[in-house]
Amino acid sequence: MPGYQSINSKMLQVPVAPGQEVYSRRGAMLAYTGSVSFAPSATAGQGIGGTLGRAVAGERTVMMHVTGHGTAMFGHAGLHVEVVHLSGDTLYVEADRLLVHDASLQVGTMFMGEQGGVRGVIRGAVSGQGLFTTTLSGHGSCALLSHGGVMELPISPQRPVHVDPQAYVAHRGEVQNKLTTAMGLRDMVGRGAGEGFQLQLSGSGVVYVQASERKI
Amino acid sequence: MLAVDLAGETIRALNGSMVAYDGQMAFKRQGMTGGEGLRGALKRRIAGEGMTLMEVTGQGTVFLASEATEVTLVQLNGDTLFVESESLLALDGDLKTGVHFVGLRGMGTGQGLATTKVEGHGVAAILSHGPAIGLEVTPQTPLCVDPHAYVGHLGQLQQDVVTDVNWRTVLGQGSGESVQFRYQGHGLVYVQPAEREGILEI
Repeated sequence: MPGYQSINSKMLQVPVAPGQEVYSRRGAMLAYTGSVSFAPSATAGQGIGGTLGRAVAGERTVMMHVTGHGTAMFGHAGLHVEVVHLSGDTLYVEADRLLVHDASLQVGTMFMGEQGGVRGVIRGAVSGQGLFTTTLSGHGSCALLSHGGVMELPISPQRPVHVDPQAYVAHRGEVQNKLTTAMGLRDMVGRGAGEGFQLQLSGSGVVYVQASERKI
Repeated sequence: MLAVDLAGETIRALNGSMVAYDGQMAFKRQGMTGGEGLRGALKRRIAGEGMTLMEVTGQGTVFLASEATEVTLVQLNGDTLFVESESLLALDGDLKTGVHFVGLRGMGTGQGLATTKVEGHGVAAILSHGPAIGLEVTPQTPLCVDPHAYVGHLGQLQQDVVTDVNWRTVLGQGSGESVQFRYQGHGLVYVQPAEREGILEI
Protein backbone atom coordinates (compact mmCIF):
# COMPACT_ATOMS: atom_id res chain seq x y z
CA MET A 1 0.00 0.00 0.00
CA PRO A 2 1.67 3.26 -1.03
CA GLY A 3 2.34 5.65 1.79
CA TYR A 4 0.91 9.06 0.92
CA GLN A 5 2.99 11.87 2.27
CA SER A 6 1.85 15.47 2.46
CA ILE A 7 4.54 17.95 1.45
CA ASN A 8 2.36 20.84 2.49
CA SER A 9 -1.38 21.30 2.76
CA LYS A 10 -1.74 21.52 -1.02
CA MET A 11 0.82 19.03 -2.35
CA LEU A 12 1.02 15.31 -1.97
CA GLN A 13 3.88 12.91 -2.59
CA VAL A 14 3.05 9.36 -3.53
CA PRO A 15 5.56 6.55 -3.95
CA VAL A 16 4.89 4.35 -6.95
CA ALA A 17 6.27 0.85 -7.48
CA PRO A 18 5.19 -2.28 -9.36
CA GLY A 19 2.17 -3.52 -7.45
CA GLN A 20 1.73 -0.10 -5.85
CA GLU A 21 0.08 1.73 -8.68
CA VAL A 22 -2.28 4.63 -8.32
CA TYR A 23 -4.90 6.41 -10.38
CA SER A 24 -4.81 10.19 -10.39
CA ARG A 25 -6.80 13.03 -11.82
CA ARG A 26 -5.50 13.73 -15.30
CA GLY A 27 -3.01 16.57 -15.43
CA ALA A 28 -2.60 16.76 -11.67
CA MET A 29 1.03 15.57 -11.67
CA LEU A 30 3.42 18.31 -10.60
CA ALA A 31 6.76 16.51 -10.55
CA TYR A 32 8.20 13.05 -10.33
CA THR A 33 11.46 11.26 -9.69
CA GLY A 34 12.45 7.86 -11.00
CA SER A 35 10.85 6.22 -13.99
CA VAL A 36 7.17 6.87 -13.68
CA SER A 37 4.78 6.75 -16.60
CA PHE A 38 1.32 8.18 -16.94
CA ALA A 39 -1.27 6.61 -19.16
CA PRO A 40 -4.72 8.05 -19.71
CA SER A 41 -7.25 5.64 -18.44
CA ALA A 42 -10.79 5.77 -19.63
CA THR A 43 -11.87 2.91 -17.46
CA ALA A 44 -10.22 3.98 -14.18
CA GLY A 45 -10.11 0.34 -13.11
CA GLN A 46 -13.84 -0.11 -13.43
CA GLY A 47 -14.14 -2.31 -16.48
CA ILE A 48 -16.23 -1.64 -19.55
CA GLY A 49 -19.56 -1.82 -17.78
CA GLY A 50 -18.54 0.64 -15.13
CA THR A 51 -17.11 3.00 -17.70
CA LEU A 52 -20.34 3.02 -19.65
CA GLY A 53 -22.20 3.63 -16.43
CA ARG A 54 -20.00 6.56 -15.62
CA ALA A 55 -20.27 8.04 -19.07
CA VAL A 56 -24.04 7.87 -18.87
CA ALA A 57 -23.98 9.26 -15.36
CA GLY A 58 -21.83 12.23 -16.28
CA GLU A 59 -19.78 11.34 -13.24
CA ARG A 60 -16.63 11.22 -15.29
CA THR A 61 -13.41 12.96 -14.51
CA VAL A 62 -10.71 11.49 -16.69
CA MET A 63 -8.19 9.70 -14.56
CA MET A 64 -4.72 8.50 -15.47
CA HIS A 65 -2.93 5.35 -14.47
CA VAL A 66 0.41 6.01 -12.81
CA THR A 67 2.88 3.15 -13.02
CA GLY A 68 6.61 2.62 -12.77
CA HIS A 69 9.10 3.01 -9.99
CA GLY A 70 9.69 6.27 -8.15
CA THR A 71 7.73 9.05 -6.49
CA ALA A 72 5.20 11.40 -8.02
CA MET A 73 3.87 14.66 -6.64
CA PHE A 74 0.31 15.78 -7.14
CA GLY A 75 -1.64 18.96 -6.66
CA HIS A 76 -4.43 20.81 -8.40
CA ALA A 77 -5.34 24.49 -8.71
CA GLY A 78 -3.98 25.38 -5.29
CA LEU A 79 -6.71 23.40 -3.58
CA HIS A 80 -6.18 21.72 -0.23
CA VAL A 81 -5.46 18.00 -0.30
CA GLU A 82 -6.77 15.66 2.37
CA VAL A 83 -5.65 12.03 2.61
CA VAL A 84 -8.28 9.48 3.60
CA HIS A 85 -7.41 5.89 4.53
CA LEU A 86 -9.95 3.20 3.86
CA SER A 87 -9.89 -0.13 5.59
CA GLY A 88 -12.74 -2.10 4.17
CA ASP A 89 -15.33 0.67 4.33
CA THR A 90 -16.80 2.75 1.53
CA LEU A 91 -16.22 6.40 0.78
CA TYR A 92 -18.81 8.38 -1.19
CA VAL A 93 -17.26 11.28 -3.05
CA GLU A 94 -17.84 13.43 -6.11
CA ALA A 95 -15.60 12.36 -9.00
CA ASP A 96 -14.14 15.82 -9.51
CA ARG A 97 -13.01 15.97 -5.87
CA LEU A 98 -10.81 12.91 -6.23
CA LEU A 99 -7.12 13.70 -6.74
CA VAL A 100 -5.39 10.34 -6.30
CA HIS A 101 -6.48 6.90 -5.22
CA ASP A 102 -4.80 3.53 -4.91
CA ALA A 103 -5.31 1.11 -7.75
CA SER A 104 -6.24 -1.45 -5.11
CA LEU A 105 -9.46 0.38 -4.32
CA GLN A 106 -12.63 -0.58 -6.13
CA VAL A 107 -14.29 2.32 -7.87
CA GLY A 108 -17.99 2.35 -8.50
CA THR A 109 -20.77 4.68 -9.39
CA MET A 110 -23.82 4.91 -7.25
CA PHE A 111 -27.14 6.19 -8.40
CA MET A 112 -28.47 8.68 -5.89
CA GLY A 113 -31.87 7.08 -6.20
CA GLU A 114 -30.49 4.07 -4.34
CA GLN A 115 -30.40 6.22 -1.26
CA GLY A 116 -33.74 7.74 -0.76
CA GLY A 117 -35.50 6.94 -4.02
CA VAL A 118 -37.07 9.87 -5.81
CA ARG A 119 -36.06 12.16 -3.01
CA GLY A 120 -32.45 11.21 -3.60
CA VAL A 121 -32.75 12.19 -7.23
CA ILE A 122 -34.23 15.54 -6.32
CA ARG A 123 -31.54 16.05 -3.74
CA GLY A 124 -28.79 15.42 -6.28
CA ALA A 125 -30.35 17.81 -8.74
CA VAL A 126 -30.93 20.58 -6.23
CA SER A 127 -27.60 20.41 -4.49
CA GLY A 128 -25.67 20.44 -7.75
CA GLN A 129 -24.18 17.07 -6.98
CA GLY A 130 -25.67 15.36 -9.95
CA LEU A 131 -27.61 12.18 -9.85
CA PHE A 132 -24.62 9.93 -9.40
CA THR A 133 -21.73 9.82 -7.03
CA THR A 134 -18.50 7.86 -6.99
CA THR A 135 -17.82 5.18 -4.41
CA LEU A 136 -14.43 3.91 -3.34
CA SER A 137 -14.19 0.73 -1.34
CA GLY A 138 -11.58 -1.74 -0.16
CA HIS A 139 -8.27 -1.23 1.55
CA GLY A 140 -6.07 1.68 0.60
CA SER A 141 -5.77 5.42 0.54
CA CYS A 142 -7.13 8.25 -1.51
CA ALA A 143 -6.72 12.01 -1.56
CA LEU A 144 -9.56 14.51 -1.78
CA LEU A 145 -9.51 18.08 -3.07
CA SER A 146 -11.18 20.87 -1.18
CA HIS A 147 -11.28 24.62 -1.18
CA GLY A 148 -9.93 25.83 2.13
CA GLY A 149 -9.27 22.52 3.83
CA VAL A 150 -11.71 19.99 5.21
CA MET A 151 -13.03 19.23 8.63
CA GLU A 152 -14.16 15.79 9.74
CA LEU A 153 -17.47 15.76 11.53
CA PRO A 154 -18.47 12.54 13.24
CA ILE A 155 -22.06 11.42 12.85
CA SER A 156 -23.78 9.25 15.41
CA PRO A 157 -27.39 8.09 15.66
CA GLN A 158 -27.93 10.52 18.55
CA ARG A 159 -26.23 13.34 16.76
CA PRO A 160 -27.24 13.93 13.16
CA VAL A 161 -25.30 16.60 11.29
CA HIS A 162 -26.64 19.19 8.86
CA VAL A 163 -24.34 20.34 6.06
CA ASP A 164 -24.61 23.03 3.43
CA PRO A 165 -24.79 21.08 0.14
CA GLN A 166 -22.14 23.31 -1.43
CA ALA A 167 -19.71 22.74 1.43
CA TYR A 168 -20.18 18.95 1.42
CA VAL A 169 -17.12 17.06 0.16
CA ALA A 170 -17.54 13.37 0.97
CA HIS A 171 -18.84 10.96 3.55
CA ARG A 172 -18.16 7.43 4.76
CA GLY A 173 -19.85 4.86 6.91
CA GLU A 174 -23.46 3.83 7.31
CA VAL A 175 -24.97 7.18 6.63
CA GLN A 176 -28.41 8.08 5.35
CA ASN A 177 -28.72 11.47 3.78
CA LYS A 178 -31.71 13.49 2.89
CA LEU A 179 -32.30 17.01 1.80
CA THR A 180 -34.15 19.17 4.26
CA THR A 181 -35.56 22.49 3.35
CA ALA A 182 -36.07 25.41 5.62
CA MET A 183 -37.79 27.45 2.97
CA GLY A 184 -40.05 30.11 4.26
CA LEU A 185 -41.92 33.05 2.90
CA ARG A 186 -38.75 35.12 3.21
CA ASP A 187 -36.86 32.85 0.79
CA MET A 188 -39.61 33.15 -1.78
CA VAL A 189 -39.25 36.90 -1.88
CA GLY A 190 -35.47 36.75 -2.00
CA ARG A 191 -34.85 37.68 1.58
CA GLY A 192 -33.77 34.30 2.90
CA ALA A 193 -30.89 33.56 5.19
CA GLY A 194 -29.07 31.82 2.34
CA GLU A 195 -29.50 28.49 4.09
CA GLY A 196 -32.63 27.26 2.39
CA PHE A 197 -31.37 23.75 1.68
CA GLN A 198 -29.46 21.56 4.05
CA LEU A 199 -28.19 18.03 3.72
CA GLN A 200 -29.16 16.04 6.77
CA LEU A 201 -26.80 13.14 7.49
CA SER A 202 -27.79 10.57 10.06
CA GLY A 203 -26.53 7.13 11.07
CA SER A 204 -22.94 6.50 12.04
CA GLY A 205 -19.94 7.63 10.09
CA VAL A 206 -17.95 10.69 9.16
CA VAL A 207 -18.71 13.59 6.84
CA TYR A 208 -16.03 15.80 5.32
CA VAL A 209 -16.91 19.47 5.07
CA GLN A 210 -14.87 22.20 3.38
CA ALA A 211 -14.43 25.77 4.57
CA SER A 212 -15.98 27.28 1.49
CA GLU A 213 -19.12 27.11 -0.57
CA ARG A 214 -17.31 26.87 -3.88
CA LYS A 215 -17.59 23.88 -6.19
CA ILE A 216 -14.51 22.64 -8.03
CA MET B 1 -13.40 27.89 9.63
CA LEU B 2 -15.16 28.96 12.80
CA ALA B 3 -17.08 26.75 15.23
CA VAL B 4 -19.61 28.40 17.51
CA ASP B 5 -21.22 26.54 20.42
CA LEU B 6 -24.67 27.82 21.13
CA ALA B 7 -26.95 27.06 24.04
CA GLY B 8 -29.98 29.09 23.24
CA GLU B 9 -28.09 32.29 22.49
CA THR B 10 -28.27 34.28 19.29
CA ILE B 11 -25.35 35.29 17.13
CA ARG B 12 -25.28 37.23 13.89
CA ALA B 13 -23.38 35.82 10.92
CA LEU B 14 -22.78 36.61 7.27
CA ASN B 15 -25.71 35.48 5.15
CA GLY B 16 -25.12 32.00 3.74
CA SER B 17 -21.90 31.35 5.65
CA MET B 18 -23.08 28.19 7.46
CA VAL B 19 -21.25 25.09 6.23
CA ALA B 20 -22.46 22.56 8.78
CA TYR B 21 -24.20 22.24 12.12
CA ASP B 22 -25.42 19.69 14.59
CA GLY B 23 -28.22 20.05 17.07
CA GLN B 24 -31.16 22.32 16.46
CA MET B 25 -30.54 25.56 14.63
CA ALA B 26 -32.74 28.20 13.11
CA PHE B 27 -31.51 30.68 10.53
CA LYS B 28 -33.31 33.91 9.96
CA ARG B 29 -32.27 36.77 7.78
CA GLN B 30 -32.16 40.06 9.53
CA GLY B 31 -34.70 42.63 8.61
CA MET B 32 -33.95 45.60 6.39
CA THR B 33 -32.63 47.61 9.28
CA GLY B 34 -30.29 44.94 10.63
CA GLY B 35 -30.86 45.99 14.20
CA GLU B 36 -29.57 49.45 13.52
CA GLY B 37 -32.84 51.27 13.36
CA LEU B 38 -34.30 53.11 10.42
CA ARG B 39 -31.70 55.83 10.52
CA GLY B 40 -28.85 53.31 10.60
CA ALA B 41 -30.29 51.45 7.64
CA LEU B 42 -30.60 54.67 5.65
CA LYS B 43 -27.01 55.63 6.44
CA ARG B 44 -25.84 52.21 5.38
CA ARG B 45 -27.75 52.47 2.12
CA ILE B 46 -26.27 55.87 1.32
CA ALA B 47 -22.78 54.75 2.24
CA GLY B 48 -22.98 51.69 0.03
CA GLU B 49 -21.66 49.69 2.96
CA GLY B 50 -24.02 46.83 2.28
CA MET B 51 -24.13 44.07 4.82
CA THR B 52 -26.43 41.09 4.98
CA LEU B 53 -26.43 39.23 8.21
CA MET B 54 -28.54 36.38 9.47
CA GLU B 55 -29.50 35.50 12.99
CA VAL B 56 -28.54 32.04 14.17
CA THR B 57 -30.30 30.67 17.23
CA GLY B 58 -30.34 27.21 18.72
CA GLN B 59 -28.70 24.44 20.69
CA GLY B 60 -25.56 22.81 19.36
CA THR B 61 -22.53 23.71 17.28
CA VAL B 62 -22.63 25.69 14.06
CA PHE B 63 -19.67 25.87 11.67
CA LEU B 64 -19.20 29.05 9.66
CA ALA B 65 -16.83 29.73 6.76
CA SER B 66 -16.65 31.86 3.66
CA GLU B 67 -14.63 31.26 0.50
CA ALA B 68 -11.81 29.50 2.35
CA THR B 69 -10.64 32.73 3.97
CA GLU B 70 -8.92 32.83 7.35
CA VAL B 71 -10.85 33.76 10.49
CA THR B 72 -9.51 35.95 13.30
CA LEU B 73 -11.37 36.42 16.57
CA VAL B 74 -11.43 39.85 18.15
CA GLN B 75 -12.48 40.28 21.77
CA LEU B 76 -14.24 43.56 22.44
CA ASN B 77 -14.55 44.96 25.95
CA GLY B 78 -16.52 48.09 25.43
CA ASP B 79 -14.23 49.39 22.69
CA THR B 80 -14.96 49.87 19.01
CA LEU B 81 -13.76 47.79 16.08
CA PHE B 82 -13.72 49.35 12.62
CA VAL B 83 -13.89 46.81 9.83
CA GLU B 84 -15.08 46.57 6.24
CA SER B 85 -18.55 45.09 6.05
CA GLU B 86 -17.40 42.31 3.72
CA SER B 87 -14.73 41.26 6.22
CA LEU B 88 -17.21 40.54 8.99
CA LEU B 89 -18.11 36.85 9.43
CA ALA B 90 -19.93 36.66 12.74
CA LEU B 91 -20.55 38.57 15.92
CA ASP B 92 -22.17 38.06 19.28
CA GLY B 93 -25.78 39.03 19.54
CA ASP B 94 -24.92 41.67 22.14
CA LEU B 95 -22.63 43.65 19.84
CA LYS B 96 -23.97 46.69 18.06
CA THR B 97 -23.11 47.60 14.50
CA GLY B 98 -23.16 50.92 12.76
CA VAL B 99 -21.74 52.89 9.87
CA HIS B 100 -18.79 55.20 10.22
CA PHE B 101 -17.91 57.68 7.48
CA VAL B 102 -14.25 57.70 6.57
CA GLY B 103 -14.49 60.51 4.10
CA LEU B 104 -12.96 60.87 0.69
CA ARG B 105 -9.75 59.10 1.55
CA GLY B 106 -11.56 55.79 1.31
CA MET B 107 -11.97 56.43 -2.40
CA GLY B 108 -9.64 54.68 -4.73
CA THR B 109 -8.48 52.24 -2.14
CA GLY B 110 -11.38 49.93 -2.71
CA GLN B 111 -12.74 50.73 0.72
CA GLY B 112 -15.55 53.02 -0.18
CA LEU B 113 -16.65 56.04 1.74
CA ALA B 114 -17.70 54.32 4.88
CA THR B 115 -16.73 51.47 7.11
CA THR B 116 -18.63 49.39 9.61
CA LYS B 117 -18.11 49.82 13.31
CA VAL B 118 -18.80 47.15 15.89
CA GLU B 119 -19.06 48.09 19.55
CA GLY B 120 -20.00 46.55 22.88
CA HIS B 121 -18.86 43.54 24.85
CA GLY B 122 -18.34 40.26 23.04
CA VAL B 123 -16.47 38.51 20.28
CA ALA B 124 -16.42 39.37 16.58
CA ALA B 125 -14.96 37.14 13.86
CA ILE B 126 -13.29 38.87 10.93
CA LEU B 127 -12.26 37.41 7.58
CA SER B 128 -8.95 37.90 5.82
CA HIS B 129 -7.17 36.47 2.83
CA GLY B 130 -4.35 34.66 4.57
CA PRO B 131 -3.89 34.87 8.34
CA ALA B 132 -4.34 38.40 9.68
CA ILE B 133 -1.86 39.86 12.15
CA GLY B 134 -2.64 42.49 14.74
CA LEU B 135 -0.01 45.27 14.76
CA GLU B 136 0.14 47.40 17.85
CA VAL B 137 0.17 51.18 17.59
CA THR B 138 1.41 53.41 20.40
CA PRO B 139 1.89 57.21 20.41
CA GLN B 140 5.63 56.65 19.97
CA THR B 141 5.27 54.26 17.07
CA PRO B 142 2.78 55.29 14.43
CA LEU B 143 2.06 52.64 11.84
CA CYS B 144 1.71 52.88 8.07
CA VAL B 145 -0.20 50.18 6.20
CA ASP B 146 -1.08 49.52 2.59
CA PRO B 147 -4.78 50.39 2.17
CA HIS B 148 -5.33 47.17 0.22
CA ALA B 149 -3.92 45.01 3.01
CA TYR B 150 -5.83 46.79 5.78
CA VAL B 151 -8.55 44.65 7.36
CA GLY B 152 -9.72 46.54 10.44
CA HIS B 153 -8.61 48.46 13.48
CA LEU B 154 -9.41 48.71 17.15
CA GLY B 155 -8.90 51.44 19.71
CA GLN B 156 -8.29 55.17 19.80
CA LEU B 157 -6.63 55.74 16.47
CA GLN B 158 -6.42 58.67 14.10
CA GLN B 159 -6.24 57.70 10.48
CA ASP B 160 -4.66 59.81 7.78
CA VAL B 161 -3.35 59.22 4.33
CA VAL B 162 0.29 59.52 3.35
CA THR B 163 0.98 59.97 -0.31
CA ASP B 164 4.22 59.65 -2.14
CA VAL B 165 3.12 60.45 -5.65
CA ASN B 166 5.79 61.80 -7.96
CA TRP B 167 6.39 61.95 -11.71
CA ARG B 168 7.31 58.27 -11.77
CA THR B 169 3.87 57.28 -10.47
CA VAL B 170 2.23 59.46 -13.08
CA LEU B 171 4.22 57.72 -15.78
CA GLY B 172 3.13 54.35 -14.44
CA GLN B 173 6.58 53.56 -13.12
CA GLY B 174 5.73 53.81 -9.43
CA SER B 175 6.73 51.31 -6.80
CA GLY B 176 3.09 50.45 -6.19
CA GLU B 177 3.29 51.88 -2.69
CA SER B 178 2.34 55.48 -3.31
CA VAL B 179 -0.54 55.71 -0.87
CA GLN B 180 -0.50 54.49 2.69
CA PHE B 181 -2.71 54.81 5.72
CA ARG B 182 -0.97 56.13 8.81
CA TYR B 183 -2.37 55.33 12.23
CA GLN B 184 -1.51 57.28 15.35
CA GLY B 185 -2.66 56.80 18.90
CA HIS B 186 -3.33 53.69 20.93
CA GLY B 187 -4.72 50.55 19.36
CA LEU B 188 -4.36 47.57 17.14
CA VAL B 189 -4.44 47.40 13.33
CA TYR B 190 -5.24 44.13 11.55
CA VAL B 191 -3.32 43.52 8.34
CA GLN B 192 -3.71 40.63 5.89
CA PRO B 193 -0.92 39.15 3.74
CA ALA B 194 -2.79 39.90 0.51
CA GLU B 195 -3.78 43.04 -1.31
CA ARG B 196 -7.36 43.33 -2.44
CA GLU B 197 -8.31 44.88 -5.73
CA GLY B 198 -8.80 48.62 -5.68
CA ILE B 199 -10.25 51.08 -8.12
CA LEU B 200 -6.87 52.69 -8.69
CA GLU B 201 -3.58 50.96 -9.17
CA ILE B 202 -1.61 52.86 -6.58
